[in-house]
Amino acid sequence: MSDDGLDPVIHAPARLRLMVTLATLPDGDNLSFTRLQELIGLTPGNLITHLRKLEDAGYVQTNKTGSGVNALTTVALTRDGRAALERYTAVLRQLLDTAELAQPQVRTHLEPDTDSAGNYASHNDAGPHRRAQQGNG
Amino acid sequence: MNEGTGITDGADASEAAGMDAQAAAAIMGEARERAQRELTVNRPVIFASWALVYLLGYGMVWLSVRGQRPFHAPEGWALALLALLAVLALGVTAAVTDRATSGVGGVSQLRRRIYWLSLAVGLLGVYIMQPALRYVGAGHGVISVFTASSPLLVAGVVLAAGTAAWLNWYAFGLGVWLIAVAAFSGFAGPAGVWAMDALAVGIPFLVMAAITLARGRS
Repeated sequence: MSDDGLDPVIHAPARLRLMVTLATLPDGDNLSFTRLQELIGLTPGNLITHLRKLEDAGYVQTNKTGSGVNALTTVALTRDGRAALERYTAVLRQLLDTAELAQPQVRTHLEPDTDSAGNYASHNDAGPHRRAQQGNG
Repeated sequence: MNEGTGITDGADASEAAGMDAQAAAAIMGEARERAQRELTVNRPVIFASWALVYLLGYGMVWLSVRGQRPFHAPEGWALALLALLAVLALGVTAAVTDRATSGVGGVSQLRRRIYWLSLAVGLLGVYIMQPALRYVGAGHGVISVFTASSPLLVAGVVLAAGTAAWLNWYAFGLGVWLIAVAAFSGFAGPAGVWAMDALAVGIPFLVMAAITLARGRS
């Protein structure tokens, strides 16, 4: 952990984006490397580097299937990864709350899509009417 | 962020050092918003396209049969228009779903496949039953009611049952509504059933399109 309690593995812009993006998927889902790259906007080399760090920490799991032109690499958040992101979010919220007490105009970006426990709402399921279920659109 | 450049531990550490809690929260908010926007199926478009199928397609079929005494069958042009609109709506649904779910695998993908396969098999069964009804001597009125409402019954049952996987009461309610419309609209008669289905499905779908659109913007 860093001095302020934020997990250093997550606390880097690219990896934070990766973790948050993967956390929007429901448990049991994964994202292809190509789609993840498109969503995050990193070069393949950078994405591999960041994924390796997250994988070494046990936060993501990559899986490669097929070979040649049929090769498909998928990435999924592990349970440890989801838990780590929830802890990170909780610590971040504490830091922001502290900052807000000292400076009331500070607004957080954490509230809309996390529940009281800091868990992420999942928005991916493509069942025809899943979005209506989410409550937050 | 240094997209496009090599990342070293040093660069990584300096990036992190330059990111305070507010910046981290902003990154999280932006990443989450983008992921949700990109990975969520655009339901307003799907609802609107199917609302068009019912309001326009079923509506035209109703216009083609409303004055028939005695009732015989919908006009070919009206059924062709309905089929064209249904094919277009299917295309829109497939394209919109594919755009959001491209690259997403795992449990959701399996659920989606089972859902669409169930719907396809159910509709196939319905369209096989139609000539079977003719074969056993069912009249034009029975065939008309069956043709108009049986797809709704299949869609309603698949949708309601599918909510077991999605745990979605809104979808369950919509499924039950489709079943109810299919069950009761036949009482409007072989011509009226088309108008009843057009309004009872088309209008709620338009409302759902507006609601999901408003939610997406809020």
